[in-house]
Amino acid sequence: MEIIIPILVTLVFAATPILLAALGELVVEKAGVLNLGVEGMMLVGAIAGFAGQFYTGNPYFALLCGAVAGAAVSLIFGFLTLSLSANQTATGLALTIFGTGFSALAGAPFSARPIQLMGPLFPPELATHPLWRGVFGYSAPVYFSFFMVFAIWYFLQKTRAGLILRAVGENDLSAHSIGYSVRGVRYLAVLFGGAMAGIAGACFPLLLTPQWAERMTAGRGWIAVALVVFASWRPLRLLAGAYLFGLVMTMELYAKAGGGPLSVIPSELWAALPYLATIVVLVLISIRRDASTNAPACLGKPFLPSN
Amino acid sequence: MPFRLEKRPEPSRLMQYLTPAAAVALTMVVGAIIFSLIGYDGMGAVREIFLTPLTNAYKWQDLGVKAAPLIIIGVGLSIAYRANVWNIGAEGQYVVGGLAGTWVALATYGMSGPWILPLMVLAGVVGGMLYAAIPALLRTRLNVNEILTSLMLTYASVQLIYYLIRAPWKDPMGMGFPQTRMFAEAARLPTIIPGTIVHLGVPIALLVALVAWFIMSRSVFGYQMRVVGTAPHAARYGGFSENRTIWLAMLVSGGLAGLAGVLEVAGPFQRMVPGFPTNYGFTAIIVAFLGRLNPLGVVFAGIVMAITFVGGEVAQTTIGLPNAATGIFQAMVLFFLLGGDLLVRYRLRRVASTPATGAA
Repeated sequence: MEIIIPILVTLVFAATPILLAALGELVVEKAGVLNLGVEGMMLVGAIAGFAGQFYTGNPYFALLCGAVAGAAVSLIFGFLTLSLSANQTATGLALTIFGTGFSALAGAPFSARPIQLMGPLFPPELATHPLWRGVFGYSAPVYFSFFMVFAIWYFLQKTRAGLILRAVGENDLSAHSIGYSVRGVRYLAVLFGGAMAGIAGACFPLLLTPQWAERMTAGRGWIAVALVVFASWRPLRLLAGAYLFGLVMTMELYAKAGGGPLSVIPSELWAALPYLATIVVLVLISIRRDASTNAPACLGKPFLPSN
Repeated sequence: MPFRLEKRPEPSRLMQYLTPAAAVALTMVVGAIIFSLIGYDGMGAVREIFLTPLTNAYKWQDLGVKAAPLIIIGVGLSIAYRANVWNIGAEGQYVVGGLAGTWVALATYGMSGPWILPLMVLAGVVGGMLYAAIPALLRTRLNVNEILTSLMLTYASVQLIYYLIRAPWKDPMGMGFPQTRMFAEAARLPTIIPGTIVHLGVPIALLVALVAWFIMSRSVFGYQMRVVGTAPHAARYGGFSENRTIWLAMLVSGGLAGLAGVLEVAGPFQRMVPGFPTNYGFTAIIVAFLGRLNPLGVVFAGIVMAITFVGGEVAQTTIGLPNAATGIFQAMVLFFLLGGDLLVRYRLRRVASTPATGAA
């Protein structure tokens, strides 16, 4: 128990940002939009969250900063792809390049200036026993990510608004002819995805390493995009996938710390493992799945109504 | 609404060539405003980043050296993107190309002869091709998205450098630094203009662009790539295999990225170091688009992006602009270009304010 609980805590903290970003991207893709700028939006959220915590010391305000910043840059993507019908793949890449540059520029004055990590949500008295620590020992974004898994599942499956969003992603022209605003729905989805990616990015300085480092999200945004495919656009499977990756990253951390049998493998291979695992996971899902995929029919295609 | 978008019957050729220039011009104007707003010398930043590398003749050699890998990789990507194959892992293929060349250089250390350099180049091209073959295989056999796999392999390739130069390839005289030994004379790319840093890679880049332009516009291969990209159904009807196209696109773009990698390690670096991945593979994505996916356009686009790289370094020393600003300018160029694409396919029409017809 004394060994398992710290491992569990590390795993949960590693999985949470990926889960949050992937949940946002899932909603975006369900609306028929492929935003490959998750990594860039996360980096912008990370520096905004860092700055929020640095100046106010209020981690909730810092998370809000991350969400607002992520949503703000997602608007660039939204404007180009939705209002100007630009190529979504290329625009998403441009957003990642922009986010990487912007966060590096904005973060330059903050290098080597530590901040306070975000504390647990519940009072420490609840988490004295190791077992209870595994349940009550996390900070707010962890519980928020669990809540969002169910909230998004409920929204997509059980609400009318969710039905409209799915209709826009499956058949934009029909949704348009019934009278729904395809662009409006997609703008909202893109903004939501941006806010979630921003919160996910803010988790890096607030939960994982309490300082600013260029490119500190290290490709986790891309792993989040891959997870959406892995999860076949289902929120509950996303939860499983994110925790699978959390496990891989936890093993990497323990191997680097020089722990027992894990350190036989070179540390560089451990560091490459999340990326290689992503490829393996994508391969597995494509082998198992039959010809009919669960991808939204309009994913990545520009909306071009004839009138 | 006084203006209305109207779809053009044919994409506008004029706009196609005008929008890249307009995108760069807009980036300069908007960039100057934004950087002024956030407290930097905006006008100075634009002047140093976009103009100084052109007006200062001493910087021209840097332009050539920076543009060469961008052009070589950008040409490969332009061919792949034409065929709708989204290889965005050129950075990883560049790294593996550089590593393959390093392997030959280290294995032949102590030998001499004019065959070493060609062998390194061959190894680099093959290395890049093999690394691009993984996403190609997964895409054609299992329909796995090549965007994600090629990108994940890029992250993995960087770890491969770290491993190789930390352990098996480490310089024995390197005082513990994680890097390989300096390449022998026979494994270094010669400079072609004495007294400058302009190496053989610069004319190679131009040659690559010319050959690619010729092939893409004059051969069946080029025709196949263009048809599969623009009209996949017609291509299938015409007997062009989609899988074959994906393989060709990935191998060509991967091989060229590998070529850029080996030229870079044998030229400017002359040894493998942790800082070898310098984002050329990602910037080349912008180069390919800015060059309108046309090999000759890529030459101009490569020079424009090289200007921002060189200018970014100038601005860092002269006006203290952080190096990251370069990336922002480069992304802005791409944003404006992608937004401007609308004007290639649509035109703005003035609408007279007469009562709308058919107002049902």
